[in-house]
Amino acid sequence: MMIKNRELLGGSFRDPSGFLFTYEGVLYRQVNQIYKQDYDLLFASGLYEKLAEKRLLVSHTEADVEAADPETVYKVIQPKRLPFISHPYEWCFSQIKDAALTTLRIQKIALRHGMSLKDASAYNIQFHQGKPLLVDTLSFETHRDGEPWTAYRQFCQHFLAPLALMAKRDVRLSQLLRVYIDGIPLDLASRLLPPSSRLNLGLLTHIHLHARAHIRYAGKDVKSAHKNRRMSRESLLALIEHLEGTVKKLEWNPAGTEWAEYYSITNYSNAAFDHKKEIIAQWMKRTSASSVWDLGANNGEFSRIASQLEIPTIAFDIDPAAVEKNYRKIKQNKETNLLPLLLDLTNPSPALGWDNQERTSLLERGPAEMVFSLALIHHLAISNNVPLERIAKFMSRVTSKWLIIEFVPKSDSQVKKLLANRQDIFDHYDQHEFERSFNLFFTIQEKSAIRESDRTVYLMKNESA
Amino acid sequence: MHYSEIPKTLVYLDPGSGSIILQLILAAILGIGVFVRVQWSRIKSLFGRKDNNDDDKE
Repeated sequence: MMIKNRELLGGSFRDPSGFLFTYEGVLYRQVNQIYKQDYDLLFASGLYEKLAEKRLLVSHTEADVEAADPETVYKVIQPKRLPFISHPYEWCFSQIKDAALTTLRIQKIALRHGMSLKDASAYNIQFHQGKPLLVDTLSFETHRDGEPWTAYRQFCQHFLAPLALMAKRDVRLSQLLRVYIDGIPLDLASRLLPPSSRLNLGLLTHIHLHARAHIRYAGKDVKSAHKNRRMSRESLLALIEHLEGTVKKLEWNPAGTEWAEYYSITNYSNAAFDHKKEIIAQWMKRTSASSVWDLGANNGEFSRIASQLEIPTIAFDIDPAAVEKNYRKIKQNKETNLLPLLLDLTNPSPALGWDNQERTSLLERGPAEMVFSLALIHHLAISNNVPLERIAKFMSRVTSKWLIIEFVPKSDSQVKKLLANRQDIFDHYDQHEFERSFNLFFTIQEKSAIRESDRTVYLMKNESA
Repeated sequence: MHYSEIPKTLVYLDPGSGSIILQLILAAILGIGVFVRVQWSRIKSLFGRKDNNDDDKE
């Protein structure tokens, strides 16, 4: 029976080993009695220590609070809380690939400690300080020698299928993860992949033959029919390594998409670019925000003004190539406060899954204390026909305090391009109407014309929050 | 001890019958690779070469 004042997390119900809850705003994880043996082995085997040392598993402390369900509880732990939870359909190719390789690496370490991952859900991985991290402490079970890997199918659906489709068909197919909450069905992946993917031994086995095996053996009791067949620990390790090799060989390189070369084709002069950076840096110091969302961040040029001040910053962009480039730069430079994510602002991540509560929407994961909206408004107002007042309202929902927003007028060559082949139905798209609309929700603190351009950047404070 | 004699742990995922069969088939094929690799590293160790570049190993 559940205790009052404990709020259960919507995405934490599948595994009977335990669940997440919040109490007075703090996140806890209840470990159930039924999981006691495995939980104790996680520590006794040295696996927890090993994973903590390598920063592969979220750290936690044992908590002294009353359990959410005292009848089933073994322990209550308090995991380190991450500043932001992202979903796999918001990751670029290399983020999914690194999450996959991290999962396999953890499984290999677990097997050496006599344990095994009992699930391989992409949702169990988060990006923290630039690196993938397993956030489900209850994912391990005692390895039973001879048994195949329970999570093999889940791994293929959550990681291998999207990666193969992105690499071999189209990078945008990662969005299928938004439709299929337990990963892309293997028969669908098999149908969508090009015939040449069958020449890749890894994809042939783990996707195409795997999909056929599912159809052929659906609902059959294979365990008792094959009870004398075993999967030795060595064979299991070889399977994990084979998956690892298959994932490593999948490649996707950003080129030829809309924004990949944005900064080299933009109409900005160097002086304007530097001036804009200077203004934003000044305002950042003045506002001392504790979190930043950069909407339409491209490859994170301006996001870095915030992240380099050690403010947790998220660089959202609609273009998979821009997010990919940003992520690679973060890896290369070992940056820790920046998280690049894929997001179409005109259709942001919704609430998904059971009861619409398993995966939180973008807005539920906000607001940030500071939002950047740089060189973005014309895409929302003109490409997507959103009236300025509605844009202002949306911005007031994603930031609790500050907004740095750039107004791009019709005289700007980028706006002219957007209007080149369509009727100009945007009579109200001008600076006066922009200020009037935003004044409904914000107060303009400062505004600054950007040198050598027709654009103006504003610092605004949210008055509606 | 046969694996079916070890007490069951908590399995909440449906592993999928096709996935089980495929793994058991792969185990047989991969087992050959494992055998070859073990023999090869034995031969190499005879000549005093250490084969350990995985930093996750203790």
